[in-house]
Amino acid sequence: MLEKSAGMDEETAALKTQLYAACEEACSSDPDRLFTQEDLTALDIIPPKDLKKLLQLIQILTNERLFAPVHLHSGLAWRLRPEAEAAKYKQLTSHDQVLVYEIIDAAGAEGAWQQDIKRRLNVQDNALRKALKELETKRLVVQFTTVENTTKKMWIKANIKPSSRATGGPWYTDQFLDEAFIEALQSVVMSFIKNRGSYLSKGERGARSVSPVLPKKGIINGATSEAAMKSKKRTADAISKDDAPVAPASRYRKTIRLPLPAGYMEYPTTEEITAGIQAAEVAKGQPLKQEHVQELIDILVWDNRVEEIRMGNRVGYRATRISKQNPSLYSKPGDEDFWEPRSNGLTTVPCGKCPVFDLCEEGGPVWAGGCEYFDQWLA
Amino acid sequence: MLVTRNAADLCALLVNELYGQLASRIIAALLARGRSNVRDLSLHTSLNPKQVRHGLALVIQHNLIFYQTDRETAVTTYEANPQAAYHLVRVGKVLDVIGRNYGVTARNLVNDLLMLGNVEIAELVRYHRLKHGRKKAAVNGNDANDHGPGLDHELDNGNADDPFDNDLHHANGNGVTHSTADNETPIQVDEIYDTLAQLIAAGVVETVSSTMFQSPQDLKASIEQECTQEFPNGVRGAKVISEFDAMVKSQIKAIGAERSMTKRKLQESAMYEPSNIKRRKLANGGMSNGFAGDSGGSILRDEPNTIVRLNFDKCLVELRNQKLTEHAEDFVGETTAQVYAALLASLCKKVYRCQHDQHTIMTEEEEETYFTGVRVTTEEVFDHLSPDVDVSSGIGTASEEHIDIRFAEKIRKYPPQVQGSHLQETLDAGDEILGSDDEDYDATGERPKTQVNGNGGWTAHNGTKSDGDYSGEGHSSRIEQIYQMRQHLLILAEAKQQFVRHCGHNEWTVDFGTLIQQLRYAELDTMIEDNFGRQGLRLTRILREKGKLDDKTLPAMALMRKPDVHVKMAEMEMAGFLEVQEVPRDNNRAANRTMFFWFFDEARTLRRVLDNGYKSMVRCLERLEVERYKKRHVVSLTERKDVQGNEEQMLRGDVYNEYLELVDIEKKLFSQVSRLDDLVSIFQDF
Repeated sequence: MLEKSAGMDEETAALKTQLYAACEEACSSDPDRLFTQEDLTALDIIPPKDLKKLLQLIQILTNERLFAPVHLHSGLAWRLRPEAEAAKYKQLTSHDQVLVYEIIDAAGAEGAWQQDIKRRLNVQDNALRKALKELETKRLVVQFTTVENTTKKMWIKANIKPSSRATGGPWYTDQFLDEAFIEALQSVVMSFIKNRGSYLSKGERGARSVSPVLPKKGIINGATSEAAMKSKKRTADAISKDDAPVAPASRYRKTIRLPLPAGYMEYPTTEEITAGIQAAEVAKGQPLKQEHVQELIDILVWDNRVEEIRMGNRVGYRATRISKQNPSLYSKPGDEDFWEPRSNGLTTVPCGKCPVFDLCEEGGPVWAGGCEYFDQWLA
Repeated sequence: MLVTRNAADLCALLVNELYGQLASRIIAALLARGRSNVRDLSLHTSLNPKQVRHGLALVIQHNLIFYQTDRETAVTTYEANPQAAYHLVRVGKVLDVIGRNYGVTARNLVNDLLMLGNVEIAELVRYHRLKHGRKKAAVNGNDANDHGPGLDHELDNGNADDPFDNDLHHANGNGVTHSTADNETPIQVDEIYDTLAQLIAAGVVETVSSTMFQSPQDLKASIEQECTQEFPNGVRGAKVISEFDAMVKSQIKAIGAERSMTKRKLQESAMYEPSNIKRRKLANGGMSNGFAGDSGGSILRDEPNTIVRLNFDKCLVELRNQKLTEHAEDFVGETTAQVYAALLASLCKKVYRCQHDQHTIMTEEEEETYFTGVRVTTEEVFDHLSPDVDVSSGIGTASEEHIDIRFAEKIRKYPPQVQGSHLQETLDAGDEILGSDDEDYDATGERPKTQVNGNGGWTAHNGTKSDGDYSGEGHSSRIEQIYQMRQHLLILAEAKQQFVRHCGHNEWTVDFGTLIQQLRYAELDTMIEDNFGRQGLRLTRILREKGKLDDKTLPAMALMRKPDVHVKMAEMEMAGFLEVQEVPRDNNRAANRTMFFWFFDEARTLRRVLDNGYKSMVRCLERLEVERYKKRHVVSLTERKDVQGNEEQMLRGDVYNEYLELVDIEKKLFSQVSRLDDLVSIFQDF
């Protein structure tokens, strides 16, 4: 090795520069590309079959930190390291520093855990801490925390940002789950699904059946398109037939949403919802990918607010209990989702909500006759 | 029915409420001790044998127990029938639903049957005339037309009535109201007989045979015993065993056939043919006039000594239909629910029970419908649909190009879990679309032009076979209405809950088992969401879908903060909705080296919720007792025969107000019990 590094002739030096330039060009599109021995040979810089030369060149480049060796299952390969990065190694003064920096460098955006570094290098805690401290003062590495485990000491190269896994993706702001953001986005997704997957009935229909004597013309002029459509649609005999039984007053109610006919193909899919969110520009600065939107939709499905509906290969989403949904398009936080929440015998007072239900028995400390919840409820 | 402590308490309380303390004590003892004879019973109830026998006669009369006499020892043992006792909680609902589906006379008849228990037809008719013939004018205040959701009906009417000496008693009771009732037209005997015939044909009322007093298990055992005598060499070897089994089976079939003989006869008499149901409905259920000739009533007249009783199995089917309709209304919409009600009404004409087990005795006809499933055509559904329902409403409009009828009209031949999943994959490409659907496209062209703007111009027009007997205009309107009604059915079929299965060309069926399972989940979800909020619901649903999950994956999936998740999970575990499993990573079992897996134990949760339901009902009834005790001076006054029915005139102002308060409390408690029963029904009986 001594001999090689000392006595690098001009030809070798030229070849080295050529090889590096060729590699740089080859991986211009994909900076993370790995080069195996075959790849390097195929670049046509080294004379064919001159393995010795190749070996020598690789050795030189690796020593100069321009190549970073990577172990793959199929064997050894090299990743190109930019010259600016390689220059940083020159600043390192001790062997420990080099080793530590190598590990942190290799860990890339994921970062390296301090314990992990220690285990891999098998060095004293003091030595490791010293090396890290020196690297930090040279502004080569910084410490950061991941959302997965906030107590772990993690190190990353100073010039790159932690990966989305470490930061938690769009849902985290400064290592904290941004619940308000998620909530807001959920309601955007919800209103999108609600709007695209249902029919808004404004309730004019009820008004019309209450006073069937209204002149037809008036309706068409006065009401929105829906009423007009309805009145057109119904044949004369259908009207006479329907109006004969008294239209119950309860029919007359506020705006509701109605289900769409079976076989409706336009229930929004994840792609459409993603596009809708991007178009609405509600999440500026946090580009939401489809998988993130899918997460939001899954949550809504689990919350029983939305259901999946399959039409062949198309997986769309629509709101559940559509006619009971709060018909307004945008719900403010804290609004009820349904204007008629579901309930049953065990959700209501007195026993359904009783905190001491398990203790309750005849002759026990709590019993039906002396129950204060019953008192309140019956009063 | 699994009889937990709470369930047993509930049964005893219910029997007490309706049939008095004697019956209740016997039932309670039987539930606690299991099968007993008279001697044991008198020991456990601290009653003398004479009283016990009297009580037993009473509860047998009301089908609350089974009995079995051992042939050799001639000792009779009695066994409680908890299911029947529990059914008592539903009498209010049953009367309500019968009143709605079969008319007022039918409701009164059923009410009388509840009062009398097992009774001969002639006696029932006589009683009915005595009771309702004269006092139709709302004697009992709130009773006459406001049945309320609960038991309150019995409260006013039946509580203390002893069915055995009713004649005298009622004559006295009604004496007060003679003056008001005089102008009422007496009920025609024919009408009573006809209504009864109708009820028997529908299966709501059944004829009683001696085998019904044995529990199904006992019955099978005794038949087996009989059959063994036919094989003197013992039942050994495959061939003999199969012969023996066949023999037992045929005997049970024979019993089933015998039980339904009268029903069959009535069904066969022409006017109970399904095609007539609409006409009868229009005749206001009463079918008193215009149906002369060989009616069902005259068949019954010929056998006045036949004993009848109420068949709760069929009543449950009616109640289930009602509940399903309510759910359809909740999940889809009002109009759609009405269409669904029509579908269920026509579908369930042939469904006589909600659940069955190996001991259920079925006739061949029932067995057939059970195993092949029942189905109805669109036309049949339409015939059951009330003309008041505006089928054109309740569905949004969408433009034609957005609707793909290949999916809307998708036919699922097989019920979901059996072969469905496997077959559906293979059929996906388009085999499912029946060719005949395409033919019907042509018919759409004939639809009135006005339709195009309405519910979308989308096509797929089935069920348009014209019968020829409609005039031009009426015809088109009928086709149109069927078409619109069909859209509601398609929505129901498309719903996540699978309310309806489009099982063939223009044919519809309901897979009750899976549907009810869905509703169980829905009720459970409601409870969880109400108790633990939306996030609690989210977590349990994730666990239900994914199985067991550990502490780390759950927060990421639910997009919740880890501490929040932990708090919620612990809360739900305490309440019994979730379970946790600890898996140590090494032998030390230290907490930090242990993985915690959360999971949702469905069966256990359902059982727990069910028992909680029983317990809450028990608490309501216990509270009722306390309230009555608190106001005992009022209760004792209102129990006087001269006060009953005339509370407002007879009671002093302040006492009357207290009475009203008590009635109010009773109403509240009973309606709560009835709501709880809705839940129990879904979890257990439907």
